[in-house]
Amino acid sequence: MVKSYRPDTLPEALKLMETRDMIPFAGGTDLMVKYQSWKGTLPGFPKDVLFLNYISSLKKIEVKGETLVIGAGVTLSDVADYPETPKVLRDAVLSIAAPGIRNIATLSGNICNASPAGDSICALYALDASVVLSKSGGNRECALPEFITGPGKTSLNSGELLTAVKIPLKKANVQEFRKVGTRKANALSKLSFSAVAEIKGDTVDGIALAFGAVGPTVIRSTELEKKLTGKTLEQIKLIQKDIMNDYSAMIVPIDDQRSTAAYRKQVALNLLKNFLESGLVQEMQ
Amino acid sequence: MAKTSFILNGEEVSVEADPLKRLLDVLREDFEALGVKEGCGEGECGACSILLNGKLVNSCMIPLGAVEGADIVTPEGLRETEKGKVIIESFADTGAVQCGFCTPGMMMAAEALLEKNNNPEESEIREALSGNLCRCTGYDLIVKGVKTSAERGKDLW
Amino acid sequence: MNDEIRKSVRRVDAVAKASGLAKYISDYDFGDILYARLVRSTRPRAKILSVTVPELPEGYYYVDYRDIPEKGKNRIQMIKDDWKVFAEDEVRYVGETIALLIGPDRERILNILSEIKIFYEDREPAYTIEEALACKGGAMVGDDNIYGEYNLVKGDPDTAFNNAARVVEGTYRTGFQEHLYMEPQGMVGTWEGGRVNIYASAQCPYYIQKSVSSALGVDGKNVRIKQVTTGGAFGGKEHFPDVIAVPLAVAVNKIKKPIELIFDRIEDISYTCKRHPSRITIKTALDKENNITGMDIDTVINGGGYESSTLIVLQRALLHGIGVYNIPNAHVRGRAVATNTFPSDAYRGFGAPQGLYAIEMHMSQVAKEVGMFPADFKRKYFIKNGDMTITNATMKDNVKLEEMFAAADEMSDYTRKIREYENDPYRGIGISFVNHGGGFTGNGEQEIIKGLVRMKRTGENRAALYVSNVEMGQGLQTVLRKIAAKELGLKYTDIEYDNPDTDIVPDSGPTVASRSTMVVGYLIQECAKKLKGKWDEGVGAEAEHRYIHPSEYKWDQDTLQGDAYPTYGWGINVVEVEMDTVTYEVKTTGIWSVFDVGIPMDDTIMDGQVSGGVIQGLGYASIEKCEVLDGRFRQHTMADYVIPTSMDFPEIKNKFIDNPYKYGPSGAKGAGELVFDAAAPAYADAVQQLTGKNIYDIPVTPEMIMELEE
Ligand SMILES: Cc1cc2nc3c(=O)[nH]c(=O)nc-3n(C[C@@H](O)[C@@H](O)[C@H](O)COP(=O)(O)OP(=O)(O)OC[C@H]3O[C@@H](n4cnc5c(N)ncnc54)[C@H](O)[C@@H]3O)c2cc1C
Ligand code: FES
Ligand code: FES
Repeated sequence: MVKSYRPDTLPEALKLMETRDMIPFAGGTDLMVKYQSWKGTLPGFPKDVLFLNYISSLKKIEVKGETLVIGAGVTLSDVADYPETPKVLRDAVLSIAAPGIRNIATLSGNICNASPAGDSICALYALDASVVLSKSGGNRECALPEFITGPGKTSLNSGELLTAVKIPLKKANVQEFRKVGTRKANALSKLSFSAVAEIKGDTVDGIALAFGAVGPTVIRSTELEKKLTGKTLEQIKLIQKDIMNDYSAMIVPIDDQRSTAAYRKQVALNLLKNFLESGLVQEMQ
Repeated sequence: MAKTSFILNGEEVSVEADPLKRLLDVLREDFEALGVKEGCGEGECGACSILLNGKLVNSCMIPLGAVEGADIVTPEGLRETEKGKVIIESFADTGAVQCGFCTPGMMMAAEALLEKNNNPEESEIREALSGNLCRCTGYDLIVKGVKTSAERGKDLW
Repeated sequence: MNDEIRKSVRRVDAVAKASGLAKYISDYDFGDILYARLVRSTRPRAKILSVTVPELPEGYYYVDYRDIPEKGKNRIQMIKDDWKVFAEDEVRYVGETIALLIGPDRERILNILSEIKIFYEDREPAYTIEEALACKGGAMVGDDNIYGEYNLVKGDPDTAFNNAARVVEGTYRTGFQEHLYMEPQGMVGTWEGGRVNIYASAQCPYYIQKSVSSALGVDGKNVRIKQVTTGGAFGGKEHFPDVIAVPLAVAVNKIKKPIELIFDRIEDISYTCKRHPSRITIKTALDKENNITGMDIDTVINGGGYESSTLIVLQRALLHGIGVYNIPNAHVRGRAVATNTFPSDAYRGFGAPQGLYAIEMHMSQVAKEVGMFPADFKRKYFIKNGDMTITNATMKDNVKLEEMFAAADEMSDYTRKIREYENDPYRGIGISFVNHGGGFTGNGEQEIIKGLVRMKRTGENRAALYVSNVEMGQGLQTVLRKIAAKELGLKYTDIEYDNPDTDIVPDSGPTVASRSTMVVGYLIQECAKKLKGKWDEGVGAEAEHRYIHPSEYKWDQDTLQGDAYPTYGWGINVVEVEMDTVTYEVKTTGIWSVFDVGIPMDDTIMDGQVSGGVIQGLGYASIEKCEVLDGRFRQHTMADYVIPTSMDFPEIKNKFIDNPYKYGPSGAKGAGELVFDAAAPAYADAVQQLTGKNIYDIPVTPEMIMELEE
């Protein structure tokens, strides 16, 4: 029979993780759906379960220096309520599910689930977020694109827990998150788009663009972003077509029960175009 | 099996059951909290809404093992309070109830909202109810029910 | 005169439901209960070669067609009895019932289920109307896959088309729609008093009784059906409950213990009936002055694997196919085809929404062809009292569409906005006009239903009413009480009316077809008058009243000629939208409606019906996509089959126009389906006006708009 454990401290939890193969359980909003069974029967967990919600040290959200550190036990509601949360992330988090789910679902769970349609992930890519992975022996830090390796796949090693998400709080006077869902609220994404940029005068000082649910993982290209950096509005206009073409080559969505590949691709590019033509401009003018 | 203790509608309770059993099933089977409904079991409909430490949650998403020491309120508890009565009466008077299957969950969502915001705008009400699906009413009269609750319960929240 | 009846009262069931005290089927405690799970076909079309069932532990049962009693029949008695209780040698859709597996422990049932092996010989399936008409894989029904065909002719359409100056044509498609009542299907069967009892979340206790008794080969009285508080239905609990009640009854008959059969949500979406998909081609003949001279409507609906009530749905689609218009010459053809999808069945509107959607979109498109705005064009053809209907009878209603249009226009500012938005790429406004026949089609109330109601004086100032019609959210328990109370001079709370139990209530017919208020309500009104006459006989005095078809309405069911419905409800919806040109997402910014439901029986209850019906219709029009992939519904979770949330649509502004119907209680007509019908065409028309491109199919998804815009 499947067992479950409720450690109160992180060391205890890591010790347990070391000794056996277990499923870390944060808010459970992915796990309970995944292992849902006939009503009145137990969810069909294939392995022992480790509850993380009793570890109070994981529930902290705080700014340390120039970095926002979000513990693995922090819920989406808490992320949204926290005043220092970057707008793009707040908007992404508030686009997820509905209040009842956001009150238990964690940001870390959204990341570890590694769904191509995970909305917070799209924003976190654009924010250059990284994750802290802990093990009895110590911690390692890993940039998000290295952590998420495919749909539902991460580079989490056995015995490791994700313990915190780190977001560098860079200056970004333009922050935009757009989700195109299956309906207006409480909806899963057909695709999403995040943009974070810093405009100085009429010049792009820094920019990050990320596309969700249009590929196996979030799509972001630092190379293309470099091409936009240091440019004025006029200069961007000149290279816009090439940039769009380059993104177009990277965006390879699929057809599924929520949308079509053609729509996802077209709208992703429309959002990009719209952002380059008006999202950036507003700040520049 | 393990023992899990928590506060249910103001009373300390404990139950011997598998920690992976859904809280929804525990509340319905072990505590006869039948106002907690199962509409989907996948977190989508909100019929199983309860308050966990004062926050609205979906009890189908939570295993018993996650609620040790927690404070839980179900429709059974809320309906005994002044606030609960105001919501129920307001819902009844505005026509917010049709088949009724979504309604106890709607009441929990209304309470969660009013605790945070005792004078909500229509858009705030709609946002607060967005995880509680109703197929009968089209929501207009439920929104009105929440507004009416806020008006009638001005001094309560 | 009717101000009293329409004044809102507090619904009798509201407080118990809101506080969680009302008991639905899953809230009852039947003591030591067994659980049942369906053994289902995993193939869309196949011969069953063999089934191997592992040896069952003590207390577990496998129940299949061999358990049908000798006197009984392996058939479900719906309108047509082609649907089998348990598949024997062939399956026609994924999810078809092969057996029930029953036992005390659910985990164990799931384990056993995984060990049951079914061997099939597959045949090539047909899923779509086109595939069915092409007899893909060979015909499954007859030699053409057609369950039935009807043709309605008015005037001389051939001549009209021969002489036409031009013809405008369009083909319109609607998809499956899932009811998504919040409470999934469920029932419990027990063995009490030496017979089968079924406690069910259902609309039609006597339908279940008929199906169960005929399958068991017993008299109706030997089966008792008790409806319990029902968490929404919308037609989904009209016939479908028979599909699970009958196998359950066979099991109870064999095992003689209480057995619970309650669906999970995913099971419910995957394996219950949906609204019939349709493909409707309309051709309109115009003369040189751009007047409509004739119309040809070819309707095909997808009935799925079994016919059941499909032809009745088809009839209603055809009878509403020409909408609210008086077209001098018309031919309406209808066919229903057999496919290997889950059998389609009743859903709020019962065929009318499909027909009305197509005609409304078509009329808007013809308007565009002739350079007119939709409402201006449509109004020229409004049917009036005394005009000839498609079934060659006179329209007997006093049609108030013009007055209703004036009200809708005033509320919504439609006439100004449609002109203003003509070249606006972001905004659009759409309008639709519909009607909906009240009660059963033709003489069904007289010939098939023969509704009977009973009332009884139960106290000094109390009376009880006995009907088989159920409360499922629409407010019937309140409305019928109000009707009875009015006649008896009592308070509505002094009237008793329990959830029906076939042991106690007479058969006043099913809770369908917008008939419960209009038809059953009228029976109650008349019965109450009789009881009033007997009031002095004291407590215990009883009265009964049976349906009598008003003699002025004539109908021939064989030719489908005459008064298809004694009266109609009428409706107008106006929907205003904005489009995000980056994502093609449409936001609804205004909804206005005007309805003629005779006299509303209770303003608040009717407001609730309007809001619920319109929003369900807008879901159908916009987001409720339901595709079939390899014989399965692709959107089968609540996450993927999406219905409107509180944030999808704004508040509806509604107005009622009084137009009392003489055979309705206090003048009321049917309303429950009417309120659904107008939303989808109004929404699609709005998007059509916005994009300037013709819309043919619903749901109108952003994906589809993108293709149009390309
Ligand atoms: C009704 C509903 C609607 C939803 N809508 C959206 C939506 O719109 N957008 C969206 O992006 N998501 C949506 N989701 C999914 C979203 O709720 C989850 O992805 C959530 O954020 C996961 O957090 P959790 O704490 O619930 O994770 P859990 O379910 O507890 O865990 C998720 C996965 O991460 C692993 N995990 C969790 N924490 C850790 C850790 N600290 N270390 C290692 N592994 C860990 C778990 O083992 C599991 O594999 C929805 C879910 C539901 C039920
Ligand atoms: S039953 Fe929990 S959200 Fe539907
Ligand atoms: S009242 Fe029926 S689902 Fe809300």
